[in-house]
Amino acid sequence: MREKVKPEIKFEDIPGPEELELEKMPFEEYCRKIFDPKKTFEKPEALKGIRWLSCTMYIFTPHSVSNLAELGAECIKIEMPRVGDPMRHTSPFNEAYLYPLHDTRPLTGTGLGFMNANLNEYFITLDYHRPEAREIVYNLVRMSDGLTECYRPGTFYRWGIGYKQLMEINPRFIYVWGGGFGYGPKVFGGSYDILGQAQGGLASITGFHEDFGGHPVKHTNWVIDWYSGTMITVGILAALYWRRKTGLGTMIEFSQVHCSTRACGYGIPLYGRFGIVRQRWGNWDTQLCVHGIIRTGKSDYPDDPNPQLREEARYVMVSAFQDQDFRELCYVIGRPDLWEKYKTHKERLKPEAQMEIYGALEQWAADKTRSEVVEILTNAGLLAMPVMNDKEVYECQHFRERGTIRWIEDPIFGDVLVQGGFSVGMLSETPRRVRWVWRPVGADNIRVYHELLGYPISKIKEWYEKGII
Amino acid sequence: MTLTEIIWCKYCNTVNYLDPYTFWNWKGKVKCAGCDRVYYVHIIQGFYYEGPKEMPPGEPYDIMPLYADKPLDGYERFRPGTPGKTRPYTCLPREIYLGKADVVKFSIRGRPVRGWAPQPPSSGLAGSQGFKWDIEKLAPDVWKEYQVKLRKGEVREW
Amino acid sequence: MTKEEIEIKDPKDVLRPRPWPVTPPATLEEAKEIYRKRGPEALDYVVWLEEILGYEKRFTKPEALTGIRVLDVGIWRLSNAFCSSLLAELGAEVIKIEPPTGDPLRYLTPFGREEYMLRDNVKGELCGLEFIHEMRNKYSVTLNLEHPEGRELFKKLIPQVDIVIENYPPGYFDQLGIGYRQLSKINPRLIYCWIGILGQWGPMKDRVSKFGQWMLEPFGQVACSFVHNTGYPPDFLPRGSGGDPTRSGAYIADLVAGEQAAVNILAALWYRDEVSGKGQFIEVTAAEALMEILDFDISWYAFNRSIKARTGSWDPNLNQYAWNPCKDGYMMIGGQSDRLWYRIGMCISRDFPQFERLISEDPLLKEMAARNALEALIKTYTLTTMWLRNITRDQAEEKLMEYEIAAGPLQYLDEVAEYYHFKYRKYIDIIEDEYYGPILYCTPPLAYQHRTPARVKWLGRPLGIDNEHIYSKYLGIGPTQLRELKEKGII
Repeated sequence: MREKVKPEIKFEDIPGPEELELEKMPFEEYCRKIFDPKKTFEKPEALKGIRWLSCTMYIFTPHSVSNLAELGAECIKIEMPRVGDPMRHTSPFNEAYLYPLHDTRPLTGTGLGFMNANLNEYFITLDYHRPEAREIVYNLVRMSDGLTECYRPGTFYRWGIGYKQLMEINPRFIYVWGGGFGYGPKVFGGSYDILGQAQGGLASITGFHEDFGGHPVKHTNWVIDWYSGTMITVGILAALYWRRKTGLGTMIEFSQVHCSTRACGYGIPLYGRFGIVRQRWGNWDTQLCVHGIIRTGKSDYPDDPNPQLREEARYVMVSAFQDQDFRELCYVIGRPDLWEKYKTHKERLKPEAQMEIYGALEQWAADKTRSEVVEILTNAGLLAMPVMNDKEVYECQHFRERGTIRWIEDPIFGDVLVQGGFSVGMLSETPRRVRWVWRPVGADNIRVYHELLGYPISKIKEWYEKGII
Repeated sequence: MTLTEIIWCKYCNTVNYLDPYTFWNWKGKVKCAGCDRVYYVHIIQGFYYEGPKEMPPGEPYDIMPLYADKPLDGYERFRPGTPGKTRPYTCLPREIYLGKADVVKFSIRGRPVRGWAPQPPSSGLAGSQGFKWDIEKLAPDVWKEYQVKLRKGEVREW
Repeated sequence: MTKEEIEIKDPKDVLRPRPWPVTPPATLEEAKEIYRKRGPEALDYVVWLEEILGYEKRFTKPEALTGIRVLDVGIWRLSNAFCSSLLAELGAEVIKIEPPTGDPLRYLTPFGREEYMLRDNVKGELCGLEFIHEMRNKYSVTLNLEHPEGRELFKKLIPQVDIVIENYPPGYFDQLGIGYRQLSKINPRLIYCWIGILGQWGPMKDRVSKFGQWMLEPFGQVACSFVHNTGYPPDFLPRGSGGDPTRSGAYIADLVAGEQAAVNILAALWYRDEVSGKGQFIEVTAAEALMEILDFDISWYAFNRSIKARTGSWDPNLNQYAWNPCKDGYMMIGGQSDRLWYRIGMCISRDFPQFERLISEDPLLKEMAARNALEALIKTYTLTTMWLRNITRDQAEEKLMEYEIAAGPLQYLDEVAEYYHFKYRKYIDIIEDEYYGPILYCTPPLAYQHRTPARVKWLGRPLGIDNEHIYSKYLGIGPTQLRELKEKGII
């Protein structure tokens, strides 16, 4: 008896529900689908229902709140009436501003230095010095989950709105203080990001070595402000999580200079156990060789009017620290003798060896453009990347597809580019998002004081005329 | 006290600013921005080892200061890159340097952005604002220009 | 302090532990004198703060993330290590799963010097300080994920954990059958976080070299334009001496990505337990995390085609906001507002009257925004350095603090360890670790909390030392079976 042979049906060919499709598709396609930047606003937000007050200035403490705002919390920024946050007045070489700041100051704008620290927030004004302010703050506190402030320790306490008082008003309240130093002999010291970089030790390990004629250099961005702000957010979220179990609020006191020391890695244990003080090592790495940034001979845009493209677009990051990669690198640059000399990673890491190897690399690259160097090394299977500038990041397809570089139509200011924002947290279910970059001073006074807190319009008018808001 | 970091030329009363990092360890001849005098300096770790020593007129110089001004003449400025007076500062963000607020009405992709002052008043009570920049009403000339750009195809995705 | 004589015949002879602190920190009474200067209310308040937040009390308080269990499967980079450190310091139970040969980060040491590594007192193995400093409160377990049985063990752990952090090249875990797609079937409540350099998808996603070498920091700094914008301009220093785009001395993009990953993980945890009951897939990259905090640089290009340029140790957005060389190093002075600007003038003019004259009379420098212009920066800092040349950092700090100006010396790490404020507040502390002895380390900045301070319980962990504990606790695998697995190369 002959059996009918059924044709074999492959699993991949069976059409199925969408979930099954997700299982079958190649990994990259899967990632593109679940992290799809176009679907961001269709998905829920992680921190829906949290309300946070931002009694902050500059970058450090505002950033701790803007992380929450990107994740969906409703954040209210409280500024000084008419003047606003002093950070509004920072702008590179005084050139880039968005307007308006406030109708009473039509010629003053908000500098681009204000960007990224106060996204998605509602802006109100309040003068804490006035006696009426205390009750207003209490009402806000009763309706919120927490606040972040950055005033000199004791100032909020004097105004009646310190942790000691707010603890009583709302036992679930999470109170965050961020500043330079915290309790201790320098408690009243003012602080900036650059002070953190300098005093915490991060600047002492960044820049070219003294023996090469170098000086410690500042990270281009206000890195200690930003990175410490995010660390506060970690603390806030942990406190929120703990509060679910216990119903108790807490106070977090945070010193930004501390974060600068925290970033120094092995430097502290190295000093403690061996007395060695870590020094700067320029564009090379102290623990991996070859793993550094070299200068090539020619820029990629020799005729461009912009000096950043014409003169500066000629640095490449090269990484070939594993033995096989280093061997390949030596052959590619025509220096097999270096491979013979430095066969082990330990040998290559010695300072004299690094000077010789990077010297040879730069000599080889001296007659080539940046892209040529990257192409040759990448074709040889090694890891190399050009040092990208702002224009190249803007034009980079990779960041555009991922939604890292994204134009948004800001409701007040028009066409603005957001950098990072959405992509600093690609969550498949509750992605981060940016709605607006910031708003003018007092833009939401009615929205918060009248619509949220219930004060009548006449009262708000009175306060405004008296300068309380 | 020897005044390091600046060379106050007594002939033309120009203060030449020797920027701290360039001149930290430096030896050579600096030309005054305000006149043709040349001064020899030898600076080690920020201190004058030698100089500023006035050179005979007509002496060739090694460098010009980056910036100079004249305190006795209302602080008349010699900005970086003035030919014959100051050396250029090349590491600028673009070929134009303003040093003051730029007037920007359209982003680089051709859509309106509110980068100019003054703006007409647009807030309600106590500074309150909505969520819309009514370009047609508040900046009709920008709106018109935008329509023209759209027609010409100058408005791009990126 | 006892005196000891040492003969220096070799650089290694000076590698000895330094006493710390060299001078004792200030006492509470001395600190109170300073608090008192701002009035009795300030004194009351700060003393009360010290009582409720004091670093010494951290072990008497609960932990915020008790009960959360994390598997950190990442290797090589600091980003996953920093992320799991933050969670571990806040009380989560973190199990670091390493390949049987260990996380390659263990073997990195500055300039290849093994004399800078520490030996544990159980197995006698050397471990680099970078790894030890970041190995806080974490268990070390070995597991060979290349082996199918190893993966089976991994999958068995999944229902018992809340969070998985990994950083392998894109798609690798998915290919092995232990990616998010597969693990979320086993445990829908799992929060899975991938932390990389450029991404799991996209034209420029993370890649390895032809020989399998991973892409490590500072590729993240390079890709987001951080390196291009940092360093001295060639107008100030020659190329090769600092007038180049410069990378950070720390693996900063990794640290920033790690902490953003911690933020996202905790947000996902919150969302899971408050709302959905489900986990999710999180992707964080070093380049994008650093780009987000790169001030406004890309947005500035999109505004008017400006490509941010290097300004060395000055900032183009504020004046004064820089450090400049002084007699014994570098001194940072900050002050942008009018009030601080004129105070700086008053302070410096006590020693150097010309400063006040040249600064205050100049119409260019009257308006705050105008002081950000390039020529204003050049003039201001040139004149400031004229004053700084003649004084040391300590003297400058004292004088400037009198005027309440935010100023600080640029400190090297030994000075950081001895700075009076940091000693009082314990930015740096010594831990007596059970395996490595006394280690000086930087304490968690989140340690100053009223109710649930962060804390470091141990620092560094010999490779696989917790195998017996963890495998027995979670998978019921006893010592005999463990030995078999080890022989097969699975553990």
